[in-house]
Amino acid sequence: MATRRFELAMSPHVGATQTTRKIMFDVVIALLPALAAATWFFGPRALLIVVLSAATAVVAEYLCLKFMKRPVSFALDGSAIVTGMLLAYNLPSGVPLWLPVIGTAFAIVVGKQAFGGIGHNIVNPALLGRAFLMASFPILMTAGWVAPDAWNSSEDIAWGTSGIVQEQLSTIPMADAISGATPLNVLKQTFDLDASAQNAHNEGNTAEALSLEERADGIRSALYSKSTYINLLIGRTGGCLGETSVILLLVGAIYLVMRGVLELRLPISYLGTVAVLAWVFGGSGWFNGDPLFHVLAGGVILGGIFMVSDMVTTPVTPKGRIIFGIGAGLLTMVIRRWGGYPEGCSYSILLMNLVTPLIDKLTLPRVFGEVKKNG
Amino acid sequence: MSLIKDLTKGIYRENPVFRLVLGMCPFLAVTTSVENALGMGAAATFVLICSNFLVSLFRNIIPSKVRIPCYIVIIATFVTLVDMVMNAYLPDLHRSLGIFIPLIVVNCIILGRAEGFANRNPVLNSIADAVGMGIGFTLAMVILASFRELLGNGTLLNINVLGSAYQNQPLLIAILAPGAFILLSFILGFFNILEKRKGGRQ
Repeated sequence: MATRRFELAMSPHVGATQTTRKIMFDVVIALLPALAAATWFFGPRALLIVVLSAATAVVAEYLCLKFMKRPVSFALDGSAIVTGMLLAYNLPSGVPLWLPVIGTAFAIVVGKQAFGGIGHNIVNPALLGRAFLMASFPILMTAGWVAPDAWNSSEDIAWGTSGIVQEQLSTIPMADAISGATPLNVLKQTFDLDASAQNAHNEGNTAEALSLEERADGIRSALYSKSTYINLLIGRTGGCLGETSVILLLVGAIYLVMRGVLELRLPISYLGTVAVLAWVFGGSGWFNGDPLFHVLAGGVILGGIFMVSDMVTTPVTPKGRIIFGIGAGLLTMVIRRWGGYPEGCSYSILLMNLVTPLIDKLTLPRVFGEVKKNG
Repeated sequence: MSLIKDLTKGIYRENPVFRLVLGMCPFLAVTTSVENALGMGAAATFVLICSNFLVSLFRNIIPSKVRIPCYIVIIATFVTLVDMVMNAYLPDLHRSLGIFIPLIVVNCIILGRAEGFANRNPVLNSIADAVGMGIGFTLAMVILASFRELLGNGTLLNINVLGSAYQNQPLLIAILAPGAFILLSFILGFFNILEKRKGGRQ
C-alpha cells in the first residue's frame, strides 16, 4: 500500500524546485571529493569511519522518528547522512571505530531530534557531536592524528601528546613533523616556545631565550613556506579526515554554488575575517602574521563551506549572514592564537549558532511602508 | 491520613526536583558521585526537618513582614551546625561538597517549604512534609548521581562496576557540567512521558 506523502514546502508555494532532499544530496555530492582525498591519504579506514558514521546517523534518526511516532521517511531525506559525514570529517583517522558511532548517535538524538528534528535544531548537530566527543574523550580525539600515506607503510606513525611532537620537532626534519601532527598543533608549539623564551629572558638567561626564539622562528618559517602551502592545498598533511584537502573541498564548494545551494556571503565573510585577523595577530608581533597559512590549515575551509553555511543554524538575513561570518572568524582566531586548543573553528561556529536568532531579529529588514517606531 | 499524604507527596507526586524543578543548583553541582549525593541529601534533609519544625512552631509568633529574615536565621542556624559537624567527623565529604554546604541556607526547596507549607500547617504535618521532601530530594540526587558516576567514572559508590577497560575511556562528559544538564533533561523527559501515559495532570 503505497500512500503518497505530501511534503509541505516553504512559502511562497509556487512549485519550488528545491526540496530538502535535493539540497541535502547536493551537499553529499559536494562532500565526496574530500572523502576521496581522505581515503587516498589516510587509507580505507577513513572511508570506513565516514560510512559508519553516516549509517549510524540514518539508523539513529529512524529510531528517533519511530519512537516519537513521526513520519520515518524523514530519515532518508539526506540531512542525517550529511550530519554523519560532517562529524566523521571532523575526526582524526586514528580513532577507534566505536567513537564515530557514539558521536553521531549523540549528534542526531540530542543535537537534532530532541529539539524537534530537521529545521528545529539550535546548533549544528555535527559540531555538537564533535564537541561532545572532545569533552568525553579528549585523549582519543587529539592523539589519533595519522600522518598521510602512513597507513600502508609498516610504521605506525600515530602522533601522540604534545610532548612527543616537541621531541620530534627537535630531532627530525621539518617537513615530516608537519605531516604528522597537524600544522596548527605545530604552530601552537611555536607559541609555547615563545612563551618559554620570554620566561628565560625574564630569568636573565639570555642565551637560552635566544636559542628558543630562534627555534620558534625556524619552525614558523618552515610552516610559512611554499612546500607547506602546497601540501595544505592538496591535503598531504595531518588533520581531521575531511579538512585537509583544500582544493577538493573547493571543488565541492564550486559545485554547491553552481547548484544554487551555497550562498557566498557566509563563507566569504568568515574566511575573510580569519585572513585579516591572521595577518594582524597571527605572528609573534603585529601585522606580520601569515593569512594564507591560517586559511589553508585546519578546518576553516571545511567549516566555511559546509558548516558556517548550514541553513538551519545560521541567519537568514543578508546582513545577519555577514555578521555571523565575522563573529565566527573572530572567535576562531581568538581560540587559535590565545585559546587552549590549536583549532577554534568548530567552537566558534557553535557559539555563533547560539546567537543566530538574536542576529536574525536585529537585522530583520523593515517591511515596506512600515513606520519606524519612536523614530 | 493527611499526615501520610504529606509524607508521601514529596517522594513522587510533588518531587521537589523532578516535578517542581527546585533546588537545581546543588542538584546539578554535587551529583558527580553517589557518595556526594547521599551526603548532600542527608544534610539538606536534616536542615529541612529542623527548619520546618521550628518555623511551624513559631508560625503564629513570627510577624509576617519579617518572616523571610526569620526563616533565614532559623535555616542558617542548622546549616552552621551541619557544616561544623561534617567538618569534624566527615572531612573528606565536607571538602568535596565545599561551598554547597553553606549554600543550603538559600536552597529554594527549604525556603519554599518554610514559606509554602510550615508557615500555615501544624507541627506534625510540617515534619512529615519535610521528611517526604527530604527523601524526594535525596532520591532524585541519587538517581542522577548514579547515572553520572556510572557513565563518567565506571563506578557506583566507588565500587568498580563497568570494569577497568571502561574506566580507561569513560564517557567523561557525564561528570562534567554539560553532562548533568543533558542527563537531567532526559530524566525530566522520562517523568513527563510517565505522567502523560498515566493521563495525569501536566
